[in-house]
Amino acid sequence: MKNRLKVLRAERDWTQAQLADALDVSRQTINAIETGKFDPSLPLAFRAARLFGLRIEEIFHDQDSAGCKNSDRVAD
Amino acid sequence: MNQSKPPESGYRSRMRTSTKRLFRWHGWWAAATLLMCFGPGFLWHRALGLTLLAVGLDVAVGVGMILATKKFIMELDELQRKIFLNALGIAVGVGLIVGVPWTVMDAYHVIHSHALHANFGLLVVLQGLTFLATLLYGTWRYR
Repeated sequence: MKNRLKVLRAERDWTQAQLADALDVSRQTINAIETGKFDPSLPLAFRAARLFGLRIEEIFHDQDSAGCKNSDRVAD
Repeated sequence: MNQSKPPESGYRSRMRTSTKRLFRWHGWWAAATLLMCFGPGFLWHRALGLTLLAVGLDVAVGVGMILATKKFIMELDELQRKIFLNALGIAVGVGLIVGVPWTVMDAYHVIHSHALHANFGLLVVLQGLTFLATLLYGTWRYR
């Protein structure tokens, strides 16, 4: 799963530690999510969406569905 | 660009408190276990009542340690809990797959060396080292 967490954080000039504190997780977890090593649970994704004032799908993207759309586009 | 600070949840301070509590309980349990192991021989010359009291104390403190560990795991965030439980699962598994054949081989006198006879203490050390190594690997993997 891909996400825009790093971009959204950078736009607000927040550090990983600040974002981690706001989302009630460790800095390591934020780093692992940003680098795509760990997919967050639904409650954590909702907390992130609430914090940034966005919908979940505006932050997190399913790689497979993105791949499908791309291949559909190629087929068209 | 919004440069205001995000709201704080206090996760770090909560984890500091939780970790200190965990270390305190593990320390008390280690002290109670030492008392139970060496007290009968060195302190009260095998008096049965005191030995039973030491065993009771060790079990009671052990229950406290288990509850503190459970609380610690519940307070971890989802990634750290995953790493911790992975390490715990592998340590228990290694204990089983080494411990059971070791005991069976000892029971059927397959092991002849005195140093290699089934020893619960060694198994606990093996589990502890496995847990530590797996925990470090998990932390490194998601760093």
